[in-house]
Amino acid sequence: MRFRDRGPREPRVTVATGIRMVTIWHLFGVAAGVTSMLLASRTGDDELPVAIKLLMQVFSIVVTVAHVVAAYGTFRGLRRARTVSLVTNYLLFVVAGSALLHQVGAFTAIGKFGTGLNKAFLPFLVIVVGLLWVLVAGQLLSNRPHATGPTALRKAGWGLAAIAAVWFVIAADPSGMLSTLADRITQPLTIGTAIVTVGAGMATRFMWQRRVAVHFGTSAAEEQTLSGLAFLSPNLIGFMFFFAGPLLFSLVVSFFEWKTTGTGRTFVGIDNYVRAMSLDISSADAANAGNEVLKSGYQVLMHLDWFGQNWVLGARDVEFWISLRNIFIFLVLAVPASVLPALVLSSILASRLPGMKVFRAIYFVPSVAGVIGVAIIWGQLFQSTVGWINYIILRAGEILPFVDPPADGHPWVSSNSTALLSMVVVFAWMNFGFNTVLYLAGHQSIPKELYEAADIDGANVWQVFRRITVPQLRNTTFYVLITTSILALQLFDIVWILSTPEPGGPNNATTTPVLALYEEAFQGNNQGYASALAWVLFLIIFGFTFAQFRQQKDGATSGGVS
Amino acid sequence: MSVRRKGPKATAIRVATYVLLLAVAVVVIFPFLVAVTTSFKRNTDIFTYPPSLVPRAAVTVPAEQVGLEGDPVPVYTFPARDDRSGQWALVDNDASLAEFRPLDDLERIIVLAVTDGDKTGATITIDGEAEDVFLIDDGGTQIEAYRSRLTSGGLFVSVGNPDDTVLDLVNFATPVQEFGPRFENFTEVLAERDPETNGKGVGRSLTNTVLVTMLVVLGQIITSILGGYAFARVQFKGRSTLFMMYLGSVMIPFVVLIIPLFQLMLQVNWRDNLVALIIPFAFSAYGTFLMRQFFLGIPAEIEEAALLDGASRSTILWKVMVPLARPAIATLATFGFLYAWNSFFWPLVIINSGNPDNAVLSLTLSTLGGRSSTDTNLVFAGAILAMTPPILVFLFAQRYFVENSASSGLK
Repeated sequence: MRFRDRGPREPRVTVATGIRMVTIWHLFGVAAGVTSMLLASRTGDDELPVAIKLLMQVFSIVVTVAHVVAAYGTFRGLRRARTVSLVTNYLLFVVAGSALLHQVGAFTAIGKFGTGLNKAFLPFLVIVVGLLWVLVAGQLLSNRPHATGPTALRKAGWGLAAIAAVWFVIAADPSGMLSTLADRITQPLTIGTAIVTVGAGMATRFMWQRRVAVHFGTSAAEEQTLSGLAFLSPNLIGFMFFFAGPLLFSLVVSFFEWKTTGTGRTFVGIDNYVRAMSLDISSADAANAGNEVLKSGYQVLMHLDWFGQNWVLGARDVEFWISLRNIFIFLVLAVPASVLPALVLSSILASRLPGMKVFRAIYFVPSVAGVIGVAIIWGQLFQSTVGWINYIILRAGEILPFVDPPADGHPWVSSNSTALLSMVVVFAWMNFGFNTVLYLAGHQSIPKELYEAADIDGANVWQVFRRITVPQLRNTTFYVLITTSILALQLFDIVWILSTPEPGGPNNATTTPVLALYEEAFQGNNQGYASALAWVLFLIIFGFTFAQFRQQKDGATSGGVS
Repeated sequence: MSVRRKGPKATAIRVATYVLLLAVAVVVIFPFLVAVTTSFKRNTDIFTYPPSLVPRAAVTVPAEQVGLEGDPVPVYTFPARDDRSGQWALVDNDASLAEFRPLDDLERIIVLAVTDGDKTGATITIDGEAEDVFLIDDGGTQIEAYRSRLTSGGLFVSVGNPDDTVLDLVNFATPVQEFGPRFENFTEVLAERDPETNGKGVGRSLTNTVLVTMLVVLGQIITSILGGYAFARVQFKGRSTLFMMYLGSVMIPFVVLIIPLFQLMLQVNWRDNLVALIIPFAFSAYGTFLMRQFFLGIPAEIEEAALLDGASRSTILWKVMVPLARPAIATLATFGFLYAWNSFFWPLVIINSGNPDNAVLSLTLSTLGGRSSTDTNLVFAGAILAMTPPILVFLFAQRYFVENSASSGLK
């Protein structure tokens, strides 16, 4: 195999000159760091918000220190200096580059790009077709490397895409976008950021070179670490910025009373958690005693009748407790409903009779179709007067004596008793096919000898299923149960669309923890309390996940699913 | 379970097996069938009883045939009336009618024009109110009746005989219908949002979804290839710690991240912008894991040979490893596509100003098909448009998809 790497080029800058320039660059960096520290600490009218101020100060200190170390190290030619300089410059490049893109509005322009794309959807489609053509032609090319035809085909694809691209630009009419861009680019702050980006980028590129590594005497292990982190960096930066950082932040917020708008941010310790979990029980004389028998701030959650004595159970956040009750009822119904059919069906599909792949594909479709569409369909099926469910029950009642249809159409989703059950039906319908496929993977690990032995012993179908299939699939069953439970605990979309007259209705019959969280955070503007709810829910889910991880660890030694 | 025995009992079991599989398949397919047919119906056709899978249109006759001018008029029959056979064209559905109830049979309703019936001057007390008694014509005989209600109804003209007219409530008549899919549902739902033309603006949302999905998939592929390669093939300090962090992140449910991500988007002013649906989702721990597993399976000799040829690591990655990893990339693309296309919770949270130009398909559809939904036929057309691409992608990429969802178990 040959590689068309660029041939050896005469380096324009010698190592010594380059390093001297990098040192000067780092000195500039020190100055910039100090300036940004001063800017961040300014007081008076234009004082920054506390969070941003703190962040900028920490950032400035880190940047300044890194530049000081890098400047000194590169000046003295210390071995580690290259690593420090590289990391500093690379991170600076990423931060300044992102800031630059942010300043010129490149990120938010994606939203505006949607407008252009909408105007020019047809040329866009042609571009896609052209590129797909290239891909397909490329595929042909790799199968028949000496054929001449596909190359021409491939060129035709590129040509088509290029023509369509021009058409696209004309149709999308980006003139407005370009003029705003030109406007913003000429701002002094933007120019400054651009200079930093380019400088950091050039410094990174210079220091990255093999000859510079030789000059500094970088060890092979260090070189490996640098290149590993370089490959990982786009991923890792995203991971830190959009996962790890927010995760920690969420934990912090859950200890605050936190509003999106306004200044209502006060530290309240574990108060949010206490409020979410608080329960109070009191005996009552009357069967339907109200809030007055409970501690102040508590509301009636439910009435109980134990040993002839009436009890009132109250909670501070009644809706959250109702949602917990709902989700556990949902869990108990929906998980078996989406796992048991999968177990039975997968046992049939694993038989490799003709047509099994078709059935497998059909069963899988509901899980990919998209929950909104599915919920809309079921909303119509559940319709009380003209819905198919009631109609089928009515027709079945005419044929089957044991089916007793209600006189008027039953309002499935707007009745207290069946609203949650309706959600169970939709959930199970959506997920049993996916679980079937998970089970099919489990079937592959069952030794065929077991079935052959059972066959010789004259076992019937039920015995084979009960005595071989089910026990052998124990690990898979556990895994499927856990993943389905985790999914069920986060129920939201189906309820959001289907429940009526408002999400979670009727009378909170379908309220779920995620729905309660959503309402607290984005309708009630209690983001601190909602974060606490999120962590409570997370702990519940974590219980299931942890059980699964334990099981998988055990399963690895006893030949289970991995 | 390979039960490949012979004999009548085995055959019976096999037949029962297929019956069961088919029954489940019907349960899966039927709702989709309802959706497809509903998306071609007229809105009134959806809300008739009994439910039907056939999109129907009213049969009409040219106005000239019943002695009028203008638009074609719909045709009705009166199956409950033995004395009124044949087809009747509804020429006026706002005629002034009166409901009379004969005094000897108060349950019966006779519909006549308001001007029909002569007051006898007598009165009768019905439910505590005095009512005038009329003499009306009932199939040739004069009977006594009282006027129970003034209403508006239909003036029907016999299709065969334009001189023969009859007044009746439209509810008492059955419209004559034929198979007639309404393709305009799709053009209307796609058209720009406009109450005048009944456009629903789904076209714009579709564009946005396409854009978001494309960029998310592209981003996930690139970052996952780079990260997966680093984890699989480069020995670096802290690799195992970082990898454990990635693995652990799969355990964190998205609900925990919703609020801080929302705050972050506020800070960088990305709220209500498509970029908030793209950049945070261009990184996938699952995808990184998937690519790593695949790269681990590629023999190291191939890479070493290229290294000896003097290729750099990035050349090896893009020229050697990536072409070999096509199946894994296809799997990742399929998963990314389905995830981005169908995602709903995050768009609901972050695209919240109500500006329809920034909405994605799932969001528009949820508003359109929500509690205050009116045009159910258009909602279903939109739902079909939203569901078709992921189903097609699944059917085409089934090989990658089914195998890998089975081995990784990630939804």
